[in-house]
Amino acid sequence: MSLIETHNLTKSYGGRRGISDIDLSVEPGEVFGFLGPNGAGKSTTIRVLLGFLRQSQGTARIFGHDCWKEGTAVRREVGYVAGDVRLYPWLTLRRALRFVGQVRNTDLHHSGLELAERFRLEPDLPVRKMSRGNRQKVALVLALAHRPRLVILDEPTSGLDPLMQDALMDCLREMAADGRTVFFSSHTLSEVEAICRRVSIIRDGRIVACEELQTLRSRAPRLVTLTFDSEETASNAAWPTFVRPQRRDGVRCILHMDGPAADLMAWAATQPICDIDVSPPNLEVVFRRFYNEAATSASTEGT
Amino acid sequence: MRGLLLKIYMETRWPVLLFGAGLSIIMAILTWVLPNLLTDLTALESMPLIKPVITALLGIDPDSQFSSQMTQAFLWVHPSVLATMWGHAVMYCTRTPAGEIDRGTVDFLLGLPVSRWKLHIAESIGGLISGVLVFGTGLIGHFIIADRFAEEMRPSITSIVMIFCNMLSMYIAVATMTMLVSSLSDHRNRAIGVVFAILLLSFLLNFLAQFWKPARPWGRLSILEYYRPANIIQSGVFPWTNVGILLLIGIVCWTTAGIVLKRRSICTV
Repeated sequence: MSLIETHNLTKSYGGRRGISDIDLSVEPGEVFGFLGPNGAGKSTTIRVLLGFLRQSQGTARIFGHDCWKEGTAVRREVGYVAGDVRLYPWLTLRRALRFVGQVRNTDLHHSGLELAERFRLEPDLPVRKMSRGNRQKVALVLALAHRPRLVILDEPTSGLDPLMQDALMDCLREMAADGRTVFFSSHTLSEVEAICRRVSIIRDGRIVACEELQTLRSRAPRLVTLTFDSEETASNAAWPTFVRPQRRDGVRCILHMDGPAADLMAWAATQPICDIDVSPPNLEVVFRRFYNEAATSASTEGT
Repeated sequence: MRGLLLKIYMETRWPVLLFGAGLSIIMAILTWVLPNLLTDLTALESMPLIKPVITALLGIDPDSQFSSQMTQAFLWVHPSVLATMWGHAVMYCTRTPAGEIDRGTVDFLLGLPVSRWKLHIAESIGGLISGVLVFGTGLIGHFIIADRFAEEMRPSITSIVMIFCNMLSMYIAVATMTMLVSSLSDHRNRAIGVVFAILLLSFLLNFLAQFWKPARPWGRLSILEYYRPANIIQSGVFPWTNVGILLLIGIVCWTTAGIVLKRRSICTV
């Protein structure tokens, strides 16, 4: 049984668009990426999953519990970090561990302070004196301290410096290795790429793709830079079907290539080429394509 | 529940202390000043509009059996005392959910494994305890000064306990009405504005009913109609009907607020 399961999940805010027909299925122990640009509906989906918002249509279940009707049971085993973390100004990490520990009926001091050390967080500093990054760290410690079965993170790295981002990623990898599930929402592909096995891409409130990263990678074009012997040969080159020229810079031509590099090598052997540079598959292009396709179809529907 | 109460304690201890200290000082000053000010009531009554104002505040005609003890009734209906009480109720009860939504902390709060009913109950317990603490501190200020007056000058302890009950029931009615408005709102300032408008209207209605005959039947809609310390001092009888009506208002508003909180979609705006 899936840990997170939604069917036709829809949330509309009157005239304002929310999310529509979201189908998600996240397996136990999976690190699942939820990608989308700002305003795509990532946070709305998460808020429905946590029982903050009631869906207009469809179903959402976590651990088999209905997210709206049995929200308390769901949240008991979930750690959540909001996108824009805001905490009480009087709160310190130590107080928060006491208060959240009492709410969760467990002692969080030991595990919380361990995490605080890992994130280099001062446990007695009040939130009102904290930077945005430190507030983010407090929220992360509170979300992870009770060792939840599922962690839902909504753009958790915003405000964290690169070192702390690495610390968080290590933490999440350890959790995944321990059989826990991570639902990682972000608009930054590189983060998701670094940790997730499978991703869903959301655009304008709809899922436009849900695939394994490996599958997406196999479909991703490689960036190829060809250096010709002269500008003339570079401008007159006849391109085979598996490459798409992007731009030319003197003798250098930048292309996107689909398919195996062997075809390119065979073709290049017949050309006056001095140098070839082939980069790994570029997922960014795939994601941009998804975004653009969705945007184009939305504008076509609009007309 | 303990965790939520701890959070409420950490969040409200200083405001409660300030409201309590403020009410204590106000009540001490009024206890001291009012008997001197009201010694010559006939002179005050000769001033235009004063008699209806006194009648509206006390709920009784000052001409009828106005004893020296009755001067202390002004203490309990003085606008500064009412304003402190209402101010505490409004400030406390608009914190959740309107205040939490407004400052963006509601996502953190609702992310905890607590049901919204539990949250509502915890907030209500905190509100009741803080109300009792604020009035209790106010009473201490009153007793310290009242002790200096002769016994026949001050109301009996029984009367004060009955007034305290009547006042607490009015606080419960105002607080639960505020909770209802707060549960419907995403902005704390807006919720405070709405509640103050209702209270001001209620206050004015109480006065208008004294000046203007057609407004008299509408006087029953004023919350002050059910808070009559002077009647309690005069009759020495517990105001069961008034307390009952105020608690009924409280139960209806509290239950409705809980249902609204349970059923509505909530997140940071």
